[in-house]
Amino acid sequence: MSSAQAARRSTPYRLAVAARVLLAALGGYGVAALATALFSLILPMARSEAVATATLLSFAVMAFLVCAVFAARSLWRSALWIAVPALVLGGGLMLALGARA
Amino acid sequence: MRQGLRQSMAWLHAWSGLVVGWVLFAVFVTGTASYYKDDISAWMRPELRLGVEHEPGQVAERAAAFLAREAPDAGGWFIELPKAEDPVATAHWWKTLEGPFHKARLDPETGARSAARDTRGGDFLYRFHFELSMPPLTGRWVVGTCALVLLVALISGIVTHRRIFADLFTFRRSKARQRSWLDAHNVAGVLALPFHLMITYTGLVTLAPMYMPWGASTAYKGEELRFFTESGMMPETRMPAGRSGTLAPLGPMVREAIARAPATPIEGIGVQNPADAHAAVIAYFEEPHGLAHLHPQVAFEGTTGAYTGKPSDPGPVAYASTAFIGLHEAHFAGPVLRVLFFLCGILGAATVATGLVLWTVARVPKPGERTGFGLRLVQILNVGTVAGLPAGIAAYFLANRLLPLDLAGRAGVEIGAFFGLWALVAVAACLRPHRAAWREGLALAALLFLAVPLVDAATVGSPFGDGMRFLAFDTVMIAIGGGLAFAAHKAGSVARRGQAATARQDLAREGFGRA
Amino acid sequence: MTPLVVALNLSLCFCGLALMALSLDRHHRDVFGARVPAGRALPLRLGGWIAILGSLAAAMLVEGANFGPIQWIGALTGAGLAVVLILSYRPAWLRFAVFASLPMAALSLLLSLQS
Repeated sequence: MSSAQAARRSTPYRLAVAARVLLAALGGYGVAALATALFSLILPMARSEAVATATLLSFAVMAFLVCAVFAARSLWRSALWIAVPALVLGGGLMLALGARA
Repeated sequence: MRQGLRQSMAWLHAWSGLVVGWVLFAVFVTGTASYYKDDISAWMRPELRLGVEHEPGQVAERAAAFLAREAPDAGGWFIELPKAEDPVATAHWWKTLEGPFHKARLDPETGARSAARDTRGGDFLYRFHFELSMPPLTGRWVVGTCALVLLVALISGIVTHRRIFADLFTFRRSKARQRSWLDAHNVAGVLALPFHLMITYTGLVTLAPMYMPWGASTAYKGEELRFFTESGMMPETRMPAGRSGTLAPLGPMVREAIARAPATPIEGIGVQNPADAHAAVIAYFEEPHGLAHLHPQVAFEGTTGAYTGKPSDPGPVAYASTAFIGLHEAHFAGPVLRVLFFLCGILGAATVATGLVLWTVARVPKPGERTGFGLRLVQILNVGTVAGLPAGIAAYFLANRLLPLDLAGRAGVEIGAFFGLWALVAVAACLRPHRAAWREGLALAALLFLAVPLVDAATVGSPFGDGMRFLAFDTVMIAIGGGLAFAAHKAGSVARRGQAATARQDLAREGFGRA
Repeated sequence: MTPLVVALNLSLCFCGLALMALSLDRHHRDVFGARVPAGRALPLRLGGWIAILGSLAAAMLVEGANFGPIQWIGALTGAGLAVVLILSYRPAWLRFAVFASLPMAALSLLLSLQS
């Protein structure tokens, strides 16, 4: 067994994989949901059209994020791929909801 | 999880494909079969006589009388009117939209339960395609999750496989086993790549209101149903009043609806809150020829039968979403295009199956090494799914012909045969050596498919009789059986060992191996 | 009429994809026993593109902008499958199949224009 293979059976490696899976699944879905909600409110078209556009694009957003999480060079970077868009979109959503209320 | 974009995408492709591969194989196979759902249903109810015309208004009233007896306090009814391929009326009813959903097939002449054999027909395979015979919501979430992972696997596969054009036509069947599996996976994946991307994305969009409700729930807080009326999916209707009311006869409403929407034949009638003072009746029509999945609808007030309106015209994006659904369901496809879609679906199933096999082939232990638990598990699941599911489908068809017509719970026993054969192959895969399990499982599936036309001829009559109604179905059974027999033969042949080393390097480069 | 247009799409796509395959050394050797002669690859590839785009144009002209591309993509897959199968099992047949595909295309074009 090569050392690379041994490294891939170690506990830290497995934990890192598990962390990325969680980031991709929960984080990816969460960011896609935030993006859908935000764009449903702010796209400059009829309300139903904005919702339809945001919903149509949501799966592309999520698929892209999952790829990004696994392509990132370190766990830290893949967390950034989720955290930064989540903060930006979440902030935008709060502003948009506040502006509407 | 490795350095470099291509390596990390190769890793992602191999593992994401593996974890959802078995479900995806089943989804591809049953989805591909669903392109011929109506033909399968017709084959499974051979005693139904086709070509009898009924007046839709009368049929609707007979079905409504049945529903008023069976489910007077239902939250909703839906009456499917007889159509050319399926000449019965089907009554559906439910208490709430969370289910459970009930249905009964009715003789359009009498409104009593249809005397045709009790079977779920092509509908079983169709629903399995997106619900996997699980509770509907659970099944849909599982399939949706797998579909998203498939989307990820497709994207990462494209990044990984950079020599798309150079390898487009390459299937080196004479080379080492691993190499030809990789070629087969690439060819099946790339040739139908537009289809794979389309079918995955449109499948997600089809159930988007469930998977991604957050746009509608944010923009339409508290009145989510308005999203569907504003985007032209359904007409406006009133909320239930909470007082009881009497539903007016459906016949006149059906006739008026036909006069108001004469472009396509009427397909069904929905009744919301049939016993409420605010009951609403909506007549649904077949989709006009076009990409969009948009049934023309005409709505009435239930208690008075007064016309209340049609859905508004959808905006361009709402229309595009319905076109996505239309593309997925391919109702627009004529016979030739349908065959091409069917072929693409088979290529999808083949891509998944070859990918699963590749994962094991790349990890075959060197002489002297023992097969690890993980590899053995994947091998068993591979045979159990790739050979077991087709065997189950053939058993489902055979049970339809062989079970006594008056057997209690007949439809359920047919489904039992489907799962029974599938489980049998899976159990056999645990007990037999891997290569033998492949050979025997595929050979069993082949024999079962080849038996279908014989049993059909013995029980229902020659496929050449009755206007050759089932000739096409029986021919396809023979073709599938032949394909599986060929696969069994290939699985039985001895591997060429000489070129294994170079092939292993190729596999490692494409991300499958453990180099 | 759709089946005829599908036949037209299939034969044009088959011709185009087969020419593309022949522009690659590996498949040229399978069919003709030698690498692609110098200066031949480009015309083969060009011819392939012309046939494939011609197929798209024909599909869109007859079936419209909605259904044309769908039918074309379906035909592209079906024809590609045929090219791969011929190349792997009976490579020598490919040259005859290419020559046969053009009259096939012409015939289905004529018939589809007539009906």
